[in-house]
Amino acid sequence: MWTTVLVSGITLGSFYTLVALGFALIFGVTHTFNLAHGELLVLAGYVAYWLWKTYGISLLFTFPAAILATLVVCLILQRLFSRLREPMEMNSIVLSFGLAILLQNGMLFFFSGDYRLIRVPTFNQGLHFNTLYLSYGQLTLLALSLLVIGLLYFLMRHTFLGKALRATIQDREAASLAGINVGGMGVLAFAIGAILIGLAGPLYGCVHYLYPTAGLQATLLAITITIFAGVGRIRTLILGGWILGFAESGAVVLLGASWRELVSAVMLITLLALRPQGIFEREQ
Amino acid sequence: MSLLKLEALSKKFGDHWALKEIDFSIDEGEIVGLVGPNGAGKTTLFNLITCRHRATSGRILFANKETTLCKPHEIQKLGISRTFQSSRPFAKMSTLDNVVVGRVFGGEFHLFAQSTDIDSAKQLLELVGLAHKEQTPAGDLTLSEQRRLDLARALATQPRLLLLDEVVAGFSPVAVKQAVDLVRRVRQRGVTLFIIDHFLSLSLRVSDRLLALDHGEKVAEGRPQEVMRNREVIRAYLGMRHEDEPHGA
Amino acid sequence: MRKKETTSQKAIQQRVAWAAPVLALVLLLLLPVFARYNDYVLQVFTHALLLATLALAWNILGVSGSISLGHAAFFGAGAYTSALLSLDLGVSPWATIPLGGVLAAGIAAIMGLFCLRLRGAYFALATLAFVEIPKVITDNWDGLTRGSLGLVGLPGLPSLRLGSYHFDMSGSLVGSYYFVLGYGLVLLVLVTILFRSNLGLALQALREEEVAAEAIGIQVQKYRLLSLLLSAFFTGITGACYGHLIRYLEPGLVYGLHFSAIPMIFAICGGRFTILGPALAALVLYPVDQFIFHPLLPAGHEFLYGAVIILAILFMPSGVWGQLRKGHFVSIKTGSIE
Repeated sequence: MWTTVLVSGITLGSFYTLVALGFALIFGVTHTFNLAHGELLVLAGYVAYWLWKTYGISLLFTFPAAILATLVVCLILQRLFSRLREPMEMNSIVLSFGLAILLQNGMLFFFSGDYRLIRVPTFNQGLHFNTLYLSYGQLTLLALSLLVIGLLYFLMRHTFLGKALRATIQDREAASLAGINVGGMGVLAFAIGAILIGLAGPLYGCVHYLYPTAGLQATLLAITITIFAGVGRIRTLILGGWILGFAESGAVVLLGASWRELVSAVMLITLLALRPQGIFEREQ
Repeated sequence: MSLLKLEALSKKFGDHWALKEIDFSIDEGEIVGLVGPNGAGKTTLFNLITCRHRATSGRILFANKETTLCKPHEIQKLGISRTFQSSRPFAKMSTLDNVVVGRVFGGEFHLFAQSTDIDSAKQLLELVGLAHKEQTPAGDLTLSEQRRLDLARALATQPRLLLLDEVVAGFSPVAVKQAVDLVRRVRQRGVTLFIIDHFLSLSLRVSDRLLALDHGEKVAEGRPQEVMRNREVIRAYLGMRHEDEPHGA
Repeated sequence: MRKKETTSQKAIQQRVAWAAPVLALVLLLLLPVFARYNDYVLQVFTHALLLATLALAWNILGVSGSISLGHAAFFGAGAYTSALLSLDLGVSPWATIPLGGVLAAGIAAIMGLFCLRLRGAYFALATLAFVEIPKVITDNWDGLTRGSLGLVGLPGLPSLRLGSYHFDMSGSLVGSYYFVLGYGLVLLVLVTILFRSNLGLALQALREEEVAAEAIGIQVQKYRLLSLLLSAFFTGITGACYGHLIRYLEPGLVYGLHFSAIPMIFAICGGRFTILGPALAALVLYPVDQFIFHPLLPAGHEFLYGAVIILAILFMPSGVWGQLRKGHFVSIKTGSIE
């Protein structure tokens, strides 16, 4: 049983990290919170669902469309954010909250409140190792998550753009003095974030019911992992994702599935209570 | 009578000592200037006295009562008030209301502001020369006016000891002269004053005594003329090259 | 930055500032007469008034500078407390409704213990997460709350016995309407007293300049806690009334994002630092949503709320009513917050 928790924890946790990655990147570079993050995930899922259901397109080919959708919304959001006044963190929360409501209602309008699921038959089959059962769905989730995280890690560490992004995250002013176009970095962060979420969405729609208000849970996850990791290194984000994955899987096993939603909420509040100064440590 | 007494007061931020073993006392009715170059620890000393930060070691005694570990509002109740290096008016409230707030919370608690609070506030605005700007939103005042408002607001809390942090920074010579008169009038009301004044334009003219700090340490104290002739103080302010180290005058 | 206003502009503003609320009040008092033959209108405005009280209650915390995204926690707690006490124990709603408020305040105290040290955005995020706690507990504690099945057949709003007169608030739409209107007016008076008292002064001061406020003797944490508790108390009462009004409860409903988002949106769009702003926004936006957009878009008509909050935060952060009242402050004889 505990092996199930382990497997489930790593699989789920890796996926959660993927979901959180975009959020963390955007926050790190622009100091803004995107509370519509979960809605973007669900939107990407819905786009994939729609293509799959209406046109019979296979899952793989729905990714580009999903990414396109999230890119459009993210870039609109970036433009709106750029017009905000200080305090950026608070105002971005309120604005993106409004956007989340818009997206929820939009999805309600187009897809109704019924629960949707992308059914990929192969995902339900799986491999058996003794008592352990690993579905192809879980494997895909795990593999794709780790692949994308790895790609992003490579991007951040070994490309010029990645280094510029990291510089901006560490110290905006210094980066700008060093000649980095900080505004452009913000746009880039949103774009990459959109791509990450666009990749996660269709997968999400395969393993999780899609409904218009499903986003909040995902947003909470992303926030929790981001705050856990502090001024993110990807490795800490992965650790945070896995811890959350384990905690949720453990909670499901011990208490039952309906307590699962509580885990990230409790974790987030605990993290905030212990680090009231927020993610970026400021000098007194 | 020693109103404020600092005993071996020290403060460390991380690895860095902001204040080292400060011993000093201020008597009731004095005007004392706190001088020293940037980074000497002057504002930190104020922050310790008003308990905005906690001392790493040493003691603070106010009217013979140990106050090292108090909270900011307790300090205010005991009778210490301060102004800040950068002006912090309640911008959306009127000038008069800014001072009334000081009155209301400086004393006993009532549910509503009393007419005595408003009258005292008006008096204080007259003292600092802002009576004509009573209804102006505090955010619309000029720098010099905001500083005077800070002073009036701090006075509204009826302090025994008032800490003024760079109250004339950015003032023209005329405004400094007015500030000198104002400070003297404040002392006449029975308030003891401790004034940070980096540029010395104010403190040299009003202070009974000076305390000079450099790099967190006390380098001199005494009457203004003596302190300003002190070699350490001069060196702290002006800096001296290695060749100028004393071996002959 | 203040625009220089001409005296005539100011005079007009002053007049509107008086006329609008008075007019609104008169219309509200007489509404049941106008809506005699239209139940739906009466229902919509009853609900709008309820949301107005919710927004007013939210704003008690809002005026201290904190934005809560999780007031549904208090709303739901109040609703369930009152519902369970009246349904299972037969206690009169006159008693259970205030008790709902008390429990909501208790929950707020717990939240405050962990979260009150947080500022701005981080406080908001904490409130967003916190809602999940009472929600999941209520959902799972089947034995007590019937869980996700919800509660049905709740007693209605309390009835008023004055001498030989018996007003049954729950029996008729009109009764319910006047009950909620009455509560709204009482709350409005309380909020006005609060904002104009020294308490309100403290909240405004600590909102503008926390460090300076502390230096003149305002105990910041104490006042923030007080505003949180009062806000939660009245939110809980509103939740309790809601339960008795619709006579049905479900965790997903009363702990849902809807009741967290709405008061925040109304308060900001109306005017976070004013007294009337939140209520006026509720009385305008909700009927617009119901009468205009709902028929057009049966699914998705609430996009309106998302749209207005985005517009407000970008173009009019002090709210419509707040913008009208900008630069106007009553001298401290009666209070400096309007």
